[in-house]
Amino acid sequence: MWLNQKSSGDRWKVRPDGEEKVTGKLRYLTDMTCPNMVYGRVLRSGIPHAKILSISIEKAKLLSGVLAVITYKDIPGLNGFGISTPDQPVFVDHLVRYEGDAVAAVAAVSDEIAEEALSLIEVEYEQLSVIDTTEKALAENATKLHPQGNILHETEFSKGDVDLAFAECNAVIEETYLTPRQMHTYLETEGGLFVPEEDGRLSVYAPTQHGYKDRMQLSRILAMDEDQIRIISSPIGGSFGGKDELNVQPYGALLSIYCNRPVKMHYSRWESVVAGLKRHPMRITMKTGVNAQGRLLAHKVEIVSDTGAYSTLGGAVLNFATEHAVGPYMISNVEIKGKAVYTNNGVSGEFRGFGGNQVIFALEGQMDRLAERLHLDPWQFRKMNLRSKDDLGPLGQRIVPTKGPNQVCEAIQSSSLWRKREKLNVEGKPWIKKGVGAAVAMHGSGLGYGLPDHAGGTIRLNSAGKIEVAFGHEEFGQGLISTLEILLINHFECRREDVSIVIGDTDLVPPSGSSTASRTTNMVWQALNQLKKPFLEAMFNKIYELTGLEKSNLTTGQGGIWLKQQKKEILAMTYKELAEKGDCFECTTSFHYPVTPDPIIGAHYLYTSTAVIVEVEVNRLTGMVKVNQIDHTVAAGPVVNPMGYLGQIEGGGVMALGFTLTEDALIHEGKYVTKNLDTYLIPTIFDVPEQHRVSAIEELPEGDSFGPRGVGEVGSVALAPAIVAAIRDATGVWVNELPIKPEQLMRRFQEEVAEIGGEYGT
Amino acid sequence: MGHETNVQATSSFHLTMELNGDQVSIEVNPSRRLIDILRSDLCLTGTKVSCEMGRCGVCMVLIDGKQHNACLTMAYQCDGKKIVTIEGIAEEKLDPIQQAFLEEGGFQCGYCTPGMIISLKALLQENCEPSFEELKEGLSGNLCRCTGYGGIYRVLRRLSCPNARA
Repeated sequence: MWLNQKSSGDRWKVRPDGEEKVTGKLRYLTDMTCPNMVYGRVLRSGIPHAKILSISIEKAKLLSGVLAVITYKDIPGLNGFGISTPDQPVFVDHLVRYEGDAVAAVAAVSDEIAEEALSLIEVEYEQLSVIDTTEKALAENATKLHPQGNILHETEFSKGDVDLAFAECNAVIEETYLTPRQMHTYLETEGGLFVPEEDGRLSVYAPTQHGYKDRMQLSRILAMDEDQIRIISSPIGGSFGGKDELNVQPYGALLSIYCNRPVKMHYSRWESVVAGLKRHPMRITMKTGVNAQGRLLAHKVEIVSDTGAYSTLGGAVLNFATEHAVGPYMISNVEIKGKAVYTNNGVSGEFRGFGGNQVIFALEGQMDRLAERLHLDPWQFRKMNLRSKDDLGPLGQRIVPTKGPNQVCEAIQSSSLWRKREKLNVEGKPWIKKGVGAAVAMHGSGLGYGLPDHAGGTIRLNSAGKIEVAFGHEEFGQGLISTLEILLINHFECRREDVSIVIGDTDLVPPSGSSTASRTTNMVWQALNQLKKPFLEAMFNKIYELTGLEKSNLTTGQGGIWLKQQKKEILAMTYKELAEKGDCFECTTSFHYPVTPDPIIGAHYLYTSTAVIVEVEVNRLTGMVKVNQIDHTVAAGPVVNPMGYLGQIEGGGVMALGFTLTEDALIHEGKYVTKNLDTYLIPTIFDVPEQHRVSAIEELPEGDSFGPRGVGEVGSVALAPAIVAAIRDATGVWVNELPIKPEQLMRRFQEEVAEIGGEYGT
Repeated sequence: MGHETNVQATSSFHLTMELNGDQVSIEVNPSRRLIDILRSDLCLTGTKVSCEMGRCGVCMVLIDGKQHNACLTMAYQCDGKKIVTIEGIAEEKLDPIQQAFLEEGGFQCGYCTPGMIISLKALLQENCEPSFEELKEGLSGNLCRCTGYGGIYRVLRRLSCPNARA
C-alpha cells in the first residue's frame, strides 16, 4: 500500500501539537525567558590540540555586568560527561583535544557583555601537532590523546574460515568506501534556560532525548542529588541524535548555581557546528566473494571510524556498524574488524541510523558490483542470498523471525521505476544521462544485548477527568504526541478531549528510557498494552462499588464509561464524575526492551527492513546529480500514525540524500571549515524530488507479538547505495566516496574519455 | 515564565513601526537586529533563530508585505515600516496556509514552519493564483530538516492554482 492521506483514511490525523506550531505560539525551550535572567556563554579553545599553561579570568570578572566566570576549578563534582564513558571534560584543565573544547564560561546581564567577557579571558596554550586523521592516530609513535591510547573501541566478529572460502570463490570484489562527517543540522541550535528554584532545586529547560540520563549526568557534575534536579526536555526543534548527549546543560547549570540567577543559553550556529556532534566518518574496506552460482561465500570487512576527541557513543556506533556490515544476507564465512579511533577532530556521536548508514552504503555497493561481475540482475542476486524468516541474525544471534527483507524486495517492484531498470531512455539532451538503482537494508531497533534499555509508563485518570499517560520520552518533531494520542483513542474508543499526555519532565514522568534507536513507538505500544487491563479493571471496580453495575457490562467510550446494553449504550458515568470520586486508578509499568537470548553485546533482536529505488539524472558536462524520484518500501509492522510514519521516511530519505550528494562538515587540520549553512549544504526544496513515495508493509509473521516498530531511522539507511547504483546505471561510473562531488564525477568522466578515446558525452 | 523587557540602556534610536497591526514604539540601538528586537525585547518568539546569516529562513517576517530575514534586518531599517510576524498571520481562524501545513503534515519539529508560512504568505499576497512552481520558488530561502519537504510539497499542491502557468 502506498502510504498517503487517501489510503490512510481517518487514520490521517492532525497533530495535537500542530496548531501551536503553525501559529508560532509554541514555546520551544530556547524561546523561554524569565525575570531576572542572565546570559551564559562558553569560551571554546579554538585550537585542536594544545597544552593549557594558564588561564586567567581576572579581567573578565572585573567587567561590569559580569556575574560569574568559571573554569574547571569551579566544578563541584565530576569534570566529565558522556552517555557511555564520561571522558569529555566540562572544562578542560590541562589538555585541549579539539577546537570545541570548553575552557571557561561566563554569565552576564546581557549576551553582548557575556561575549565581551569571553574575549577578556586569557589562556596560554602550548600548541601540539594535530592528529587529524585516523591514520595519524593509529601510527605507532602517535601521541596518546587519552591515557588508554588512541583506540576508543574495537570490534571483532568471525564465523567460518574466510581465507579458505575466498580460495573457492569464482568472483571477488574488494573496495574501500568513505563516508562523510554529516551534521545533524537541527534548525534549533542547542540552548535552554536554567533556573535555580527557591527550594534549592535546579530546573533545567533544555532539549535532550533522555531526560533521566541528563539528570544523572548533571547530578555527577554538580554533586547534587538527582532528585534535586528537574529536567524539562520537550518540545525540541529537531535532534536526529544530536541532542542525545549533553551540550549546553553543564554550563547553564553551573552558571545558574554560581550566580543564583536564571541563566539562558543559546548556541550560535557557529558554536553548534564547532562543539556539536557529527556522524562518524568511516573508512570501510570490504572484500566479498561468490561462487559460480552467485552464492555469497566470504565477506571480510574492516571498519575504521573517526570518533573525534571524545567517546560519547562512538563505541556503540561501531558495534552497530559491525552488526550491519553483514546485513540481510546469509554468508557462511565472515570476518569483521572495527576500530573507533580518537583524533583531534570534532566529536562524532549518535546520528539517525547509528553507523548503519555507512556500512549499508558499502555492503550494498558490494552486492551491485558482484552482481555485475557475474552478469546477474542485481535484485536477483540479492534475493538468492537473502535471509529467510527463521535464519539467525547478522552476528549469529537469535532474532525475532522476520520476512521483512523478502517482503520489501518484492514490494519495491511495484514502483513505477522498476521497469525503467531494464531500458534507459536518453532525451533530447545527450549530456543528461538517466539511471535507476535500488538497495535493501535491515536495521535493528533498541540498544541491543547487554545494554540497559528500560522502558515504562504510567496511566491514570487525572483530576480533570482525562485519561492521562505519562512517559519519559521526548517530542523532537517525530510525532510522538500524535502517536500516543492515536493509541489512546484506539484503546479506549474515546475522544481527543478525553486524553491527556504528559512527557518530557522528570518530575512528572516515569523512566522510559531514551527516545532513540527507533524504540519509542514500540515501547509506548507495549506499555499501553500492559497498562490498559489493570487500569480498566480499577475504574470498573469503582463503578461497580458506586452503582452496582456489572464490570463485564462496562466499556470506555466517548466522554466516559458506558454500559453495554443489548441494543443501545447508556452512559454509566463520565470520566469527570468518576475523577470527582477522588481515585486516580494509577497504574505503572516498567519493563526491558526485548533482547536476543544470545549473549552478544549490542546484537539486536527486533529488525525493520527497507528497500528503496531511485531515478537519477547525471549531467555529464557539470557532474551534477539530480534525484528525480524516490520510492521507499518499509516493513515495520502496523502503521499507528500514518502522517508521522510517512514524514519520518520522507525526512529520513532526504537526510540520506544530503549524506549522499552534498553534506560534509569539512575539517582542515582539526578545524571546521564549513561553519554555517552557506557552506554546509543540506537539501533545499529544489534538491528534492516531488515524487517520493512510501509503501508500508504492515504484516508481521504469525505469532509476532512485538507490534509496530519505530521508523525514525530506517528511512535514512538505504538511499545512498541506491543513488550510487543509479549513477552507475546512468554513466558507467562507480562511486566509492560520499558525498558525491561533481568534480569527482567529472574527473571520472574525463578519465573514461581518455581511456576509450571516444567522443565526449556519448 | 514571564516576559522580560530588555530595552538597551545605550540605545539612541527611537523605532516606530506597525507590528502585527499595533503601533510599537521603542528605544533601541539602531544596529540591533530585528530578530533580537522581536524575540528578546518584545517576546514574540514565533520568529525563530538558526543560522543568523539569511540562509535558513526560519526568521522570515513580512516587511511592508515582502519577505525578509529578520536576522539581516537592523532596527533603523524598520522605522515607519509595517511588520507582520507569524503571530500576526492568523486572525479569527487559521490562515489557509497554516491550515494546509496542519492537515498535510507540512512540518514535524515545526521550527522552520513560521518562516515557511511567512514566505508563502508574501507570495500569495502578490499573486493570488500562483502555480506550483511559483510557490516552490517562494520557498527557495527556507530550509527544513525534518520533513524532507514531502509534506511541504503536499501543501504547495494544495495551495497552487491548477490553472496558473508556471
